Order: sequence, then C-alpha cells, then structure tokens
Amino acid sequence: MRSAAGPIVTAVLGDATGRIVVGLLVAAAVAVPVLNLMVPAGSPLHVPPYVVALIGKYLTFALLALSVDLIWGFAGILSLGHGAFFALGGYAMGMHLMRQIGTRGVYGNAELPDFMVFLNWKELPWYWYGFDAFPFAALMVVLVPGVLALVFGWFAFRSRVTGVYLSIITQAMTFALMLAFFRNDMGFGGNNGLTDFKDILGFNLQAGGTRAVLFAASALAVAGAYALCRVIVASRLGRVLLAVRDAEGRVRFLGYRVEYYKLFVFVVSAMLAGIAGALYVPQVGIINPGEFAPANSIEIIIWVAVGGRGSLHGAILGAILVNFAKTYLTGAIPEIWLFALGGLFVAVTLFLPKGIVGTVPAFKFGGAGGGWRWRRLVPARGRSEERP
Amino acid sequence: MSELHASPQKRDTILYLDGVSVSFDGFKALNNLSFYVLAGELRAVIGPNGAGKTTMMDVVTGKTRPDEGQVVFNGGVDLTALDEARIANLGIGRKFQKPTVFDTQSVFDNLELALAGSRGVFQSLGFRLTPEQRLRIDEMLETVGLTERRAALAGDLSHGQKQWLEIGMLLMQDPHLLLVDEPAAGMTDAETEETAQLLKRIAGDRSVVVVEHDMEFVRALDARVTVLHEGSVLAEGSLATVQNDARVVEVYLGR
Amino acid sequence: MFDFLRSFVAVLLLALGLAGIPVVAAADAVTDGLAGLADRSFSRKVEAVAQLGASGDQRAETILNALLDGRLYVRNADSAVVIGEERGKAFLVADPTAGAEAAEAAIADFTKITVNNRMRGAIRGALGALTLFSADAGTRAAAADAVFKTPTADMLPLLDKALARETDNGVKRRMERAWAAVAAVGAGETAERLAAIETLGSFADPDVRSLLGGLAVGNGEVAQAAGLTLRRIDESLVLWGAVGNVFQGVSLGSVLLLAAVGLAITFGVMGVINMAHGELVMLGAYTTFVVQEAFRAHLPGAFDMSLFVAVPAAFLVSGLVGIALERGVIRFLYGRPLETLLATWGISLILQQLVRSVFGPTNREVGSPSWMSGAYETASGLVLTYNRIAIIVFSLMVIGVIALILRKTSLGLSMRAVTQNRRMAGAMGIRTGRVDALTFGLGSGIAGVAGVALSQIDNVSPNLGQSYIIDSFMVVVFGGVGNLWGTLVGAFSLGIVNKFLEPYAGAVLGKIFVLIAIILFIQKRPRGLFAPKGRAVEA
Repeated sequence: MRSAAGPIVTAVLGDATGRIVVGLLVAAAVAVPVLNLMVPAGSPLHVPPYVVALIGKYLTFALLALSVDLIWGFAGILSLGHGAFFALGGYAMGMHLMRQIGTRGVYGNAELPDFMVFLNWKELPWYWYGFDAFPFAALMVVLVPGVLALVFGWFAFRSRVTGVYLSIITQAMTFALMLAFFRNDMGFGGNNGLTDFKDILGFNLQAGGTRAVLFAASALAVAGAYALCRVIVASRLGRVLLAVRDAEGRVRFLGYRVEYYKLFVFVVSAMLAGIAGALYVPQVGIINPGEFAPANSIEIIIWVAVGGRGSLHGAILGAILVNFAKTYLTGAIPEIWLFALGGLFVAVTLFLPKGIVGTVPAFKFGGAGGGWRWRRLVPARGRSEERP
Repeated sequence: MSELHASPQKRDTILYLDGVSVSFDGFKALNNLSFYVLAGELRAVIGPNGAGKTTMMDVVTGKTRPDEGQVVFNGGVDLTALDEARIANLGIGRKFQKPTVFDTQSVFDNLELALAGSRGVFQSLGFRLTPEQRLRIDEMLETVGLTERRAALAGDLSHGQKQWLEIGMLLMQDPHLLLVDEPAAGMTDAETEETAQLLKRIAGDRSVVVVEHDMEFVRALDARVTVLHEGSVLAEGSLATVQNDARVVEVYLGR
Repeated sequence: MFDFLRSFVAVLLLALGLAGIPVVAAADAVTDGLAGLADRSFSRKVEAVAQLGASGDQRAETILNALLDGRLYVRNADSAVVIGEERGKAFLVADPTAGAEAAEAAIADFTKITVNNRMRGAIRGALGALTLFSADAGTRAAAADAVFKTPTADMLPLLDKALARETDNGVKRRMERAWAAVAAVGAGETAERLAAIETLGSFADPDVRSLLGGLAVGNGEVAQAAGLTLRRIDESLVLWGAVGNVFQGVSLGSVLLLAAVGLAITFGVMGVINMAHGELVMLGAYTTFVVQEAFRAHLPGAFDMSLFVAVPAAFLVSGLVGIALERGVIRFLYGRPLETLLATWGISLILQQLVRSVFGPTNREVGSPSWMSGAYETASGLVLTYNRIAIIVFSLMVIGVIALILRKTSLGLSMRAVTQNRRMAGAMGIRTGRVDALTFGLGSGIAGVAGVALSQIDNVSPNLGQSYIIDSFMVVVFGGVGNLWGTLVGAFSLGIVNKFLEPYAGAVLGKIFVLIAIILFIQKRPRGLFAPKGRAVEA
C-alpha cells in the first residue's frame, strides 16, 4: 500500500504549473519579509512597508479568487455572494481583534468594545463569547462561512436552483447580510464596523515584524489553498464536478448525487473565502458592512474571469493584476477606474472568454509533459451557437 | 410468449407501468399509459412526435413525476418516490436523444465516471482505479470502438462516436434496464446496423427499451414493437403486426 | 349691445344701493352688532363684537377683520357703519352688510372706529368661532379641528349653528366630531355625555383615541363607556392601519412593478440577464431632470406638463441605449447567461460613472407637477398622497400597454414566435436579430419610463438604479420568468408583504425577512410562482 502523501504531492507538484505557483508563493513568503526587514531602507532591494501591506492584501484577494474559481471554474456555480463569506471570516477575526483591545479603547472598558459602550450596552452579547481566545476565533473563521454555505447550499442545490437563478439568490443573500450588518443593534459595530485594532497574539499590528509575518501567512495560505484546490480538482471528485458543470443531468442519470458534490465544494470554497477575510482584516485594519456589498462580490468574478476561469493559477494572477490596476488607476485618475472596470467586464466576456491564462501563451505553464492533464481542465465551453 | 404478455404478472417484469398520466399545462403528455417490459427483453418503442416517448422515459428515470399511476421496477420497487440518482443506482441507465457526454473530459475519463461503484462524495475524493477496473474500461473502449480515441476529449468526437460513447457509459453503469433514446440518429447506415447488433447483444443479460424513428433500425433490432400515440399504447406486437394494424397506419406509418 | 350691458350694470349697482346709502336690512344679529359698534362705549362695542361672533354670519367675519385692521368707519350723518378704504386721494366706502362694490365718498364725513386691547382680544376670539362659518370648506374644517383639539363647553351653541348650515359632508363630519368632543368633555348630563362618547366611537382616528384615553381614566359610567369605545376604536384603527399598509404596499409594489416589468421582458422573454437594467431606469430619471430643466428655462408656465414630455423622452433615451447595448454587446453572448450577466454589469458601471461625470455625484432636483402634490385624507387619518396614487395608476397603465403590445401588435407576435422557436421563426422570414433588438429596446424603454416615475419619489442620483436592481430581480424571479401576470402579482405581493412587516420588524429587518423568504421560496419553486411547465422549460 502506498502512502496517501504520494498522490497528493503528485497532484500539486506533478507538473510545471504547480511547481512554479507553489515555488513563487513560498519564495515570496520568505523573500518579501526579508527584503523588508533585513535590507536597509536606502537599498534598491528594500521593500517598503506599504508595498508589503499592499501585496499582502492582494494575496488575500488571490485566495478569495481561488475560492470562487473552485466553484465557478470547476463546478459551474457562479456565486455573486462570495464576498459574504469573505466578510464573515473577516468579522470573526475582527471580533477577536476587538476583544484584544481590552482596556486600551477610548472608554477603557475591559469587557465591552468601544461601540457597545457608546450604544450604552451593559454586557457582551452571547455571540461575542469565546472570541477573546484566538483558537476559537480561528475556528469561527472557517466555521461561520462554512455553516452558512452548508445551510444555503443545502437548500439551493437540493431544490436544483442553478445558473442565473442561483447567482441572483446568492446576490440577495449577501445583500441581506449587508443590510443586517449595517444595523447597530446587530452588535457588530453598524456602519463603522470593527476597527482600531491594537495587536494580534500579543504582537503590535503596526509593527513591521507583525506585518511581515501576516504577509508570509497570506502567501503560504494562498499556496496551501492552491494545493488543496489542485488535489480536489485532480481527484475523481473534481472530474465529477467538471461533469456537473458541463452536463448536470447526465451526471444525475449516472447515479451521482449532484447536490452533495456541489455542497461539498461550495462549503470548502466558503471556508477558503473566510480564511481570506480573516487574513485581510488585520492587514487593512478594518472590517465594515461595505464588504458585503453585492458589487464587491461581482468584482471577484472579474478577477477570475480576467485570469482565466477554470485555471487555478489564473485566478491568482487575475486577482493580483486587476487589483494592481485598481490601486494604480484609483490613485492616478480616480474617475477612470469604474470605466476601466466596466470595460474589463465587457472586454473579457466578449474577447477573452478564457482569460489571460487561456489566451496568452506565456502563461500556459508546463509543456507537453506533466501539463497535459492540467491544460485540458481549462474549459473549452461556451461557444454554443444555440440560444435558450 | 405472447400469452404471457397478454396477462402480465408484475413480479415477472423488469419495468411495469400502469395507468400513468402526466400533463403539462393541460396538455396530456401521457394518458393512462400501461406498458411493461420483461426481464432480458429488447423492446422498440415507436410513435409520432408528441406521442409521449420521451416523457415516458422521464417518468421511469425520475425526471418527471407522474400525476397518477404506478411505475414499478424489477417487480417490486416503486420508482415514483425516487430521484434520478437513486433510480440510476438501482440499475436503470438512460441515453439521451441528443448525445450527452462530458465534452471537456477524455473518452477514458467519461467511461471512468460512469463506472459502477461508489457514488459518495468523500470516496470520490480518494478514489483510485484498480487494475481490474482499468481493464473493464479498456474492454468497454474496445466494445464501443473507441480504443484509438481514448485520450481524445469527448467534445472532439464525431456525432456517431458520441452516441457510442454514451452507450458505453451506460454499460459501464452495469444496469439491468437500458432506456435508449434514438441511438441511430446521425449515424451512417453501417453504424446504424452495428448499433442494432450491439443492442441485440446487450439484451438478454439486460432489458433494453429503444425509442426510435428509423424504421430500418427497428427492423434490424427484430424486437417486439410498442406503438405510442397521444400518450398511450396504440398497438403492440412484432413489427409486421403493427405495420398491418389499420390504426397504426393511420396515425403514423400512413403519413 | 355693449352700451346696453353697461347701463344694465349701472342700474344693478343702483338697485343694490351701492351709491353710499346704507341699506338697513331686517334686524338681525349682524345689523344689531354693527349698530353696536357705532357706540362710543368700549363695553358696548365688546358686546357687539361678541354678538357678531355668535351670529355665525359670513359678513360678520368681514366686518370684524375690517375692525381689527382699522378700516371700519361711522358716518357722522346717520351713525351708519361702513368699511372705508383710502386709495390714494380717494376714499371708498362700502356697506359691510351688503358686502359689495365700494363707492367714493368724502373722508371728512366719516369717523374711524377705534379699538383697544380688550376689544382686540374679543375680536380674535369671535373670529376664531366665525371661521366655522367661513366660505372656504378647508378653513371650516380646520376650525372644527381646532375646536376638537381644545373642546370648551361654550362652543356648543356655535357648533350647533354651524352644523345646521353646513353643506359639505366632509366638513360636517369634522364638526360632528368636534361637537361630540365638546359634549363628551363638557359638564352636561351624564346621558348626554354618554351619547357623545357613542358618537365619538364612530370616528376611528388616533386623535379621538387619545381624547377617549383621557376620559377613560377613573371610575364612573363615563369612564367606563369611554374605555369600551376606546377598545372599539382600537379594533377599527387596526383595520384602517391594515388598509393604510395595503396602500403603502401597493404603492411600493407599483414602484417595483415599474422597475421590474422591463426586466421581465428582457429576462423573461429573451432570457437575458441585464444587470444594467437599473442604470436604464436611472437614465430615465435623468432624462426627466433634463426635460424639466428645459421647461424651466423655456416654458416655465407649462411646467406641469413636463412629465408628459419626459415619459416619451425617457422611453426613447433608455430604449436607444438598450438597443445599442443589445447590438453592441449582448447579441454576441446569447445562450451564455452568466457571461451576459457579467458584461452587462460592466456596462452598468460605465453608465453610472458616465452619469456621475456629466451630472455630478450629488442628487439632482426633480420637481413634481402641482397636480401630483397634496394628498387625499380620510376621516380616520389615512393619508393617500397624490404622487403615490399617480404612480399606482401609471404602473397599471404601463402593464396594460405592454400586454397590448405583446398580444396585439405584430412586434408582439414576432417576439413570442422568436421566444418559442427561434430557428422556426427565422425560417418563416422573421428577422430575429431585429426582433431581438426591438424587444430589448422595449424592455429598456420601459425601464426609462420607470425612471420618470421614480424621479418623483426618490433621489435622482447615479446610484438610483442600484437600489432597485436586486428588488426587481426578486420580483421577476418570484413571479416566474416570462410571465407578465406573474410580475404583476409578484411586485404587489412583495410590496405589501414588505409594508406589513415593516411596523413589526423595522424597514431594514423587514427587507431582510423578505429576501430570506424569497430565497426559501425559490428553493420550493425554482421557477417562480407562475412557472411554465413541460418540455420547453428544459430546452
């Protein structure tokens, strides 16, 4: 009997793409903190702190994009509400960081976060219990999005809500959550959300060292999630999902419980999104209900579409490229960003249905060798001449 | 043989439909349809467009719930209460009218997905082919004549090859009953003949119900023929018998 | 002819005694009071003012107003009281009892009637009671309500008199309410007060409720009766509250209907998910703004008509943008609904930013024509604003027109043909591309028309469309795709459910409940309330 590790390593590192992606991420996890902390500020090799923070943020978006690509690219589930899972993970982490503030808040209340004191609350709501412990908060980061995905998905997939209907109700889901979190009496800080964090696990969040570690954690999380997705996609489960994407009815008539397969991958995806949110919050220092906005969730889709739907490294690439463009454009010419983003949506769907990875040869990593199994996972679908 | 058909015993049948009706917005797709297939039988079902052939298959495979009537499999299993996956796992395979294979996966993987066995989510995550299973797939590739194209994407196959691949997938499921919807559509004459021979070979071990328009194909099947019209059985018997039936000639063959 | 008319008027004027000769009418309260005003004694004058006030006569109001303004004079010759007015060098006098044209006179022949503070108070009090007799029904109603709010026993005789004369049923009802309040609070016989409480019971409004609440305190027959009546009123208030909720719900529903019906065409009939639909609505609202600006600049007098121009203009603007959208982008994406969704989302971002760049990010002021302002108010405090009523009527008209277009025109026939079987329709010579463009244009144009209506009740900003798009999708999905009737039912039921939840759960939580309810509903009926059945669905 072979050990279980063998096939997993093969699935992740068996081809050039896997080796390049994991290698780059691990290298970044090591190199960027080193170049930031060890290299003196004057040196051309020095990475300034703001770049660390920026790329760290992009990496959490890359993780989010991976989670969306896993369900959209490989199972055909277009979720327009994935920002909700990201935000829930972020809130779980934010609640922990709020509890860490302790008496250092404006009101100096050891028990209650500032906004609760401000609202004249007398005691901590029950759902805040336990968040002072990091392991509990970390568990909630994956559990809350996971359970929501499980419940939502169970209803949706069991009743065979598919295609645009599913997309629309996922959008309604995040919209409802946004409205709920905007309310002060929900106990999550209303409009302002959670902010003014001080430290994480005892380390000052403003310190360069903490930020470098958060960066490294994000890069490694992306690498880990990438590996996980590769394993799922390369397994028979992944092939069932692809089959569901292409001909759901056929899969049912082969005797598969399509709803369970979808549910599994949806929950995994929601958990990954939750982790992305949890890494995002300490790096940007705030989480507010705006993260639930439907527009945010749709933006994730364009990252994946630009990179290449159905290609995992494409999702990472797309998230980083689009967000880099966003940072650059909103800084240089703010009015143009929405035009550019809007144009991107149109251009990618019309002219670049396979994204950068499927179109630009340089990004089709891996030659005829180990890559063959990989490349055919990129969808060749969507050229149908027939209309509904 | 024909006496037995005249007085069907539910327990002798592989498929038993009694008084089945389905209506869509007032249109009766099936109207008190009673129909049965014996174990190991090869049956051809013909009928003009809208006679209810596809709806009948939908009812058997769990895609459509009948408004009333009994649908019993293998002499005792009530199919009306089950969903598609359960019915498929009971051993009923279905081939669609339009060949439906997984275009973005290889021919080999298509067959592998159809392979009988566990359908659980977590089992599939750690699933690895055994040498025996690999051998079975190889044999099936041989049977449906796709050995050469085993690594090709199913989407790149010709129409006829897709039909064969789908039949192959059906057989990989190891079903007791196959429902085959217009298998000969889009095939050359030689392919049609071959398909008929294949289906005849399959029958015996399994029961096969073939819906077909092509009379040459039905003739080649040399099977008992059921004529559907407006959602119920109009005539039944050998091809020669039904071809001489005045009502059949009027609604179907006569046109 | 003209001469005849002139002489006729002259004769008429003479006959009415407007040449300055006072007409001594039959001795009534007004003439008596008027005569009293000529007296030198202030006490006598105050008495006279009270007399005038109690007369309930309209002329008394004019006289008292004149007295207050210092326009009342006494003719030295015969002590007749007249209303005088200095106009330039001329002095015009008129007989207040006849209340008609003034005639010129010499100011030296008259003495102004002086007023002191005590009198001023008396005059104001008298005038307050007199407004119960004002010529204007609105003023009378307001006066009755004022009496109702501060009921004092001495108003009873005046109210009796006012009631006896009142002809307007609405005002009469308000006066009865005031009368009952006065009688119920007053110190009269218990039986009388009980009867008054009984009468109050027929007015199920919040004001009566609080009045009775005050009376119900303590023991005794009156308090008991008040308590009973109070409970009855509460029941009836719940009913009226429900009616009010239904109205609010229907109003919200009509807004949703307008926003969703265009979507029902593009999504339902064509299967196109147009995420830019909200922006087409927004364009309609901005078109209204531009049209109104044009009216303000060039035709200010016809401003009330501006919406009649805005509706077709918005239809054209949004419709043309929609056709451009269909020809330029969407037609390349037919059969790929998810891609369509993404591309149109991109377009919505572009349109939003475009409008933001042109008109600025802040709200734009869109006016309401005068015929849409104001409200219809029922006795039980239910307020139905005219703009809401107008939008309800308008939305039903729009639905009617669309139904007609779909059923009766050749475009509608082609549309239905293309929807059902594109290839066959094409084979029969229908230019499917053109039908697609026109259908999409129709749906988009209706979005623009919805924008005109929304501009009347919502802020016109670049984000206008965003706030409606999710609700609109919910309506279409809930009602069942491809079914106008479903959209109608869906919009109104969502609107009404929303408004019924609001009082219990608050606006935001109510909306969340509705969203969750729809999400659950879709699980049960994935194809909506009025789902098409059969094979065509699967195709």
